[in-house]
Amino acid sequence: MTRLASTALGWAVLLALLVAIPNLGLGAERILLINLILVYSIFAVGFELSFGLTGLLSLGHGAMFGVGGYALALLTIRLAWPFELALLMAGLAGAVLAAVIGFFALRLTGIFFSLTTLAFAQLAYILASTKLRDITGGVDGLAGVPRPTLFGVDFYDDGNFYLYLAVLLIVMLALAGLLRASPFGQVLTGIRVNDTRVEQLGWNVRRFRHIAFAISGFYSGIAGALLGALLFYVSPQMLHWTTSGDVLIMTLVGGVGTLFGPLIGVTIFEALKDELGRLTEHWYGILGLIFVLSTIFLPHGAMGLISAVMRRAVPRS
Amino acid sequence: MSVVIIGLSIGFLLFLLAAGLTLIFGMLGVVNFAHGSLYMVGAYLTYTVFQLTGSFWIALALVPVLGAMLGMIMEMLALRPVYGREHYYQILLTFGFILIIEELVRVFWGLDYKEVNPPAILASPISVLDATISPYRLFVIGFGAAIAGLLFYVLENTRVGIIVRAASVDPETVQVLGLDVGRVRTGVFAFGAGLAALGGAVGAPLFPVELGMGFNIIIDCFIVIIIGGLGSIRGAIVAALLIGMVRAIGYTAAPDWVDFITYSVLIVVLLTRPEGLFGRSRRVA
Repeated sequence: MTRLASTALGWAVLLALLVAIPNLGLGAERILLINLILVYSIFAVGFELSFGLTGLLSLGHGAMFGVGGYALALLTIRLAWPFELALLMAGLAGAVLAAVIGFFALRLTGIFFSLTTLAFAQLAYILASTKLRDITGGVDGLAGVPRPTLFGVDFYDDGNFYLYLAVLLIVMLALAGLLRASPFGQVLTGIRVNDTRVEQLGWNVRRFRHIAFAISGFYSGIAGALLGALLFYVSPQMLHWTTSGDVLIMTLVGGVGTLFGPLIGVTIFEALKDELGRLTEHWYGILGLIFVLSTIFLPHGAMGLISAVMRRAVPRS
Repeated sequence: MSVVIIGLSIGFLLFLLAAGLTLIFGMLGVVNFAHGSLYMVGAYLTYTVFQLTGSFWIALALVPVLGAMLGMIMEMLALRPVYGREHYYQILLTFGFILIIEELVRVFWGLDYKEVNPPAILASPISVLDATISPYRLFVIGFGAAIAGLLFYVLENTRVGIIVRAASVDPETVQVLGLDVGRVRTGVFAFGAGLAALGGAVGAPLFPVELGMGFNIIIDCFIVIIIGGLGSIRGAIVAALLIGMVRAIGYTAAPDWVDFITYSVLIVVLLTRPEGLFGRSRRVA
């Protein structure tokens, strides 16, 4: 199968699923789970732009996610801004924070970059939970985050909010797909594969990394804001290192370096979390074990498995 | 005076952890994220051994051995299959270990925090030059300095040290010379894990033994190795003492801003010497 054909197939499957889900008559709990999957998918798609496309392993994406959530909560609750404008600002807040962290962390490469992002995210977490208590509500977080009111649809109904999230995911995913295929995305791929060569070709590698990191921050901010709206609540837990770890696990389990891999990873992660959480309180440790095993035995994640099966079923002409 | 003692004791504790991290990185090219978890396990094991035997000293001797065994298992079962792959797979594996180890600690020791008392002879505060000083902290400083000296001696002057340094620089040649690099790797990882557990044992009387204690300290260790230059033991000790002093002075001068000040040190170093105080000029990992 050609690259174009598999992308088209991926889109077809995704759109068919998104259209089918409201007609399955699922219970409220399932719809909430699916909405969570949609929100985290946007987060993981953004993380993948930094990690899978550009090769920047950030361990601090929780900071951008959380800042997006707080930006939306504060703008809508305190300043009564319209939802969509606040959502846009949440994305920009994530992008600005990523740009600031990148300003320092991108002086380093490889693992040093990762460690520095982790340190900055931890600083943001400490600030949100203690120092900025007056604004952020401390460890209690902020409750009463609103949902959008568009075209007179009641988005406080989870079934309706699903439509809102699904449309946003399609738009964000399409933009990510365009970005990957664009000349800009080609340069980012080049940087991941061989940054020295790209530098020698005359591209400003650090500036490209910086822009990619900020775009990734924009996605994270949007996703964090949407999680706040979905749960009516934001808390410093969103900035915690486990959030940064979760999105990494999701992306890796799904398959690094692909457009749809993160979506599959998020679905596996959230479904496992939901099912294991029902069975045992030790779900997080079991998730860690599954993550370790899939890192050893399935290095290309679920997408690697799928494409291996597809290659066998549909031989390349 | 007491600020200096507190700063140095925090510094040497950080050094025990940072030295293991740096050794493992130099040898395997892996930043062991689970290092903080091993530190936590060390502290919990110290609590249990202390409960069983009533002696802190037995715990101090036994816990690093147990930590090293745990490290050996981790290296052989999980890290060994992925050496041939890109570096980030190894990082991710150690990340997965955090989740597993935290869960195991939760299963075995529960959620409430434990307390370990310093041994009786080091418990009562002494006063020197009208300052009250905890003798246990003096012990931590002496012990940490001794371990640091031993580490330097072994790495610089013994056959084992030469093999480890050679295998860090050029594993293929060492392999061709007839030494089993795989075993050196396992040994170094186990040794680093043992140092982390030892840090846990030493730190147990200083801090409450609780879930999440590993993560708080590991971030400081990452800051230490970024400032010191990853792979450099000399850098680790200087940076660990620097961060220890910054923390101690911060606690007395502006307790609300301690973390902020610590991160500011990191930022200043990143802006002025991105390769770290003792790092090589180019940092690629």
